[in-house]
Amino acid sequence: MTEEYVLRCVLMLCCALLSANASNWLYLAKLSSVGSIRDEETCERLRGLIQRQVQICKRSVEVMDAVRRGAQLAIDECQFQFRNRRWNCSTLETMPVFGKVVTQGTREAAFVYAISAASVAFAVTRACSSGELEKCGCDHNVHGVSPEGFQWSGCSDNIAYGVAFSQSFVDVRERSKGQSSSRALMNLHNNEAGRKAILSHMRVECKCHGVSGSCEVKTCWKAMPPFRKVGNVIKEKFDGATEVEQRKVGSTKVLVPRNSQFKPHTDEDLVYLDPSPDFCDYDPRTPGMLGTVGRQCNRTSKAIDGCELMCCGRGFQTQEVEVVDRCSCKFHWCCYVKCKQCRKMVEMHTCR
Amino acid sequence: MAGAIIENMSTKKLVIVGVILLLFQAFAFMVGGLIAPSPTTAIHYLATKCVDTVKHRQETKWFMPWGPNQCDKIRTFDEAMAKKIEANNIVFAVHIPMNNKEMSPWFQFMLVILQFDIAFKMYNQIEDGALVTIDVGLAYRDDTLGEWTEMAHSIEKRKLNCNFTTAKTFENEGRYYECDLLPFMEVGSVAHKYYLLNIRLPVNERKKINVGIGEIKDIRLVGIHQNGGFTKVWFAMKTFLTPSILIIMIWYWRRITLMSRPPVLLEKVILALGISMTFINIPVEWFSVGFNWTWMLLFGDIRQGIFYSMLLSFWIIFCGEHLMDQTERNRFSVYWKQVGPIVFGSFCLFIFDMCERGVQLTNPFYSIWASDVGTELAMAFIIVAGICACLYFLFLCFMVFQVFRNISGKRTSLPAMSKARRLHYEGLIFRFKFLMLVTLTCAAMTVIFFIISQVNEGHWHWGEHTVQVNSAFFTGIYGMWNLYVFAIMFLYAPSHKRYGDEQSSGDIGANSGEDIQLTTTITHVDGPTEIYKMTGKEAQE
Repeated sequence: MTEEYVLRCVLMLCCALLSANASNWLYLAKLSSVGSIRDEETCERLRGLIQRQVQICKRSVEVMDAVRRGAQLAIDECQFQFRNRRWNCSTLETMPVFGKVVTQGTREAAFVYAISAASVAFAVTRACSSGELEKCGCDHNVHGVSPEGFQWSGCSDNIAYGVAFSQSFVDVRERSKGQSSSRALMNLHNNEAGRKAILSHMRVECKCHGVSGSCEVKTCWKAMPPFRKVGNVIKEKFDGATEVEQRKVGSTKVLVPRNSQFKPHTDEDLVYLDPSPDFCDYDPRTPGMLGTVGRQCNRTSKAIDGCELMCCGRGFQTQEVEVVDRCSCKFHWCCYVKCKQCRKMVEMHTCR
Repeated sequence: MAGAIIENMSTKKLVIVGVILLLFQAFAFMVGGLIAPSPTTAIHYLATKCVDTVKHRQETKWFMPWGPNQCDKIRTFDEAMAKKIEANNIVFAVHIPMNNKEMSPWFQFMLVILQFDIAFKMYNQIEDGALVTIDVGLAYRDDTLGEWTEMAHSIEKRKLNCNFTTAKTFENEGRYYECDLLPFMEVGSVAHKYYLLNIRLPVNERKKINVGIGEIKDIRLVGIHQNGGFTKVWFAMKTFLTPSILIIMIWYWRRITLMSRPPVLLEKVILALGISMTFINIPVEWFSVGFNWTWMLLFGDIRQGIFYSMLLSFWIIFCGEHLMDQTERNRFSVYWKQVGPIVFGSFCLFIFDMCERGVQLTNPFYSIWASDVGTELAMAFIIVAGICACLYFLFLCFMVFQVFRNISGKRTSLPAMSKARRLHYEGLIFRFKFLMLVTLTCAAMTVIFFIISQVNEGHWHWGEHTVQVNSAFFTGIYGMWNLYVFAIMFLYAPSHKRYGDEQSSGDIGANSGEDIQLTTTITHVDGPTEIYKMTGKEAQE
């Protein structure tokens, strides 16, 4: 008993120390060893959560699997969106997941925060729709639910629950600091922007079912966009992110564009405080800063995936490699592919 | 039609009746907007992917997505690929409703829409005109631990209508196609608490079944049902309206039978309108709460159809009886040309409805839109019905035009007529104009509210109150047509005041030689009322 208590204290201390990086909970994605998060005990053993998040975890254990899937989804989508950039969202096996790249208030950090807040909302909403969770749209803690209950007027959309959960779980780190540091403001803004990327791209779909299928009676609902689309939206916001600084307006601190000639950012835009490093070279002091040595590049492209920019002017080497490709395949809609193997020679360019 | 109440009523009384009706109208709107919730609810379901390991099963096994006895689940199909699970072993399971909730008979109907999430892959694209073959089973149970009982099982084909909006390149692999919603299931009564859907997409390469349908990532369903609260408000309204219309109908018919002459055509048509309104009002839906009557949805359609065709016929016959062109009508057969399109059009819609909702009584997964032949047939029915509707409105407009032409013709000759004839024509003109005005107002209201409910998102926030616009539309418009029928039966009932007015009938007898129509439409000449004088003056101006 006492042993466990001590262990718990140590864990808590670890958590408190590590809470400098607010996206530590993304480490959940790496915790495949834990298995499914079923009871409250597991919550305490999860690394990467701060105390308040552990409390949320205990309160709604059933949601945690969805949160973990959300973390995985965020990392996958980040890696897809950044596959052609110098920093390709590579993760480490240790905490913090992205190394120290996102500890500064850079554009990349803004993206990571936005995509992870969005992915939690997305994953929780999906879990709701598949019936894994009991509360969801009918939960009275979520605003917008009718007081009369399911039989009288149905439940509100699951997305409301997903977003509300994301707000309480992801934002709690910034709020728990109890201060409005510029970084906390930036993170909160980007978290919200990520969730907005889902909310403002909900598709409205309708079905007519009146007399003889006429539109006399029409039911409409909002469908969540696929996560790839959310990722694309946030990536676009990343490309057009606004550099901001903290300023005091009255008694509240707000973020305003550093360059006053730029028009102020909206709720859906990403904001960042510090300019990004060039991500060119490996830096042993900054975990996660892997550099671009050995990365593949595209010789013909002039964009960031082109060899010129990707290799930061160090040049590249070209190899002829034989690629075994699948061709003339037969597919089933799931789980079955029968292909021939085709070999072809491809020129591959890698950065020096 | 004899001198109706509307002609003999004083302006004051008429205004009072109008105000009372308007109050009821406002009440009908408010009941829907403030008490009732929105008419329907849509719930999203994401199908759980279960694994069926047994190859050839003797009895059907039902796969539960969650809870006790849940199936072996897989998250993604990549997982299935690694475990060497084949497409034929995958069962998509959906439990209706959500965890911890139960369905209720108050939901009236349940319809389910199917959507596929299909990812774009360069080498595994959706072929043109791809058909999905769905092996689907529906089961129900009434307690959480009981056995599932099969309700329906079917093998359905649905056409995939998907397009990929971005360029088909390797870059865009993994994006989803945008697919049309597929009608999936329609059940006309919700008698059980829990429903379970098990969907399979069997692959058979030799028979080309489910080949070339792309890489399916997920199956999503949307379940739509009527809200329990709305059903209760609706039933309450029907239960209140039925006796009101019934009483006025009996009163109306008693008045007509008290007269010495047999009822004329228009009076019979008004009675028929009242009967069809009562037919639609009678709240037989109360039974659907206790009994599992799946045909209630179809029955509701038929009742509405009968009322609409009756209303349309009434307008034609009313116009015809007020034509004032000295020809004897008063027979239903005279109107076959105008009523024919109505009957034919509603018959077409009836056949269409029978093909869709009628077949759904036996197979809830049937959809006439799923097959090409069915789509063409359905379109044919709807187009024919549309042509009939156009034809009808042309006839109606032409008749209204004729009436107005005759009215202006009569106006010039009014002062020269004898008093009885003048009053007779003035009465006809007033009655016609009044109905015309009321009908146009009602029709305009219906159209306006219909547009609002289509454009609007369904509810307005008004301070702290939420106004359910769609519910208000349904109760308001329903109440309006009820009041319309009520008002017609009340105002166009024959007037009392003709009794003991022997002199007037004699007067008409003298004039009937030159005006045959008088025998059918007028039996009374009484001291004109204020409103009567007023319109009379108007007509002379």
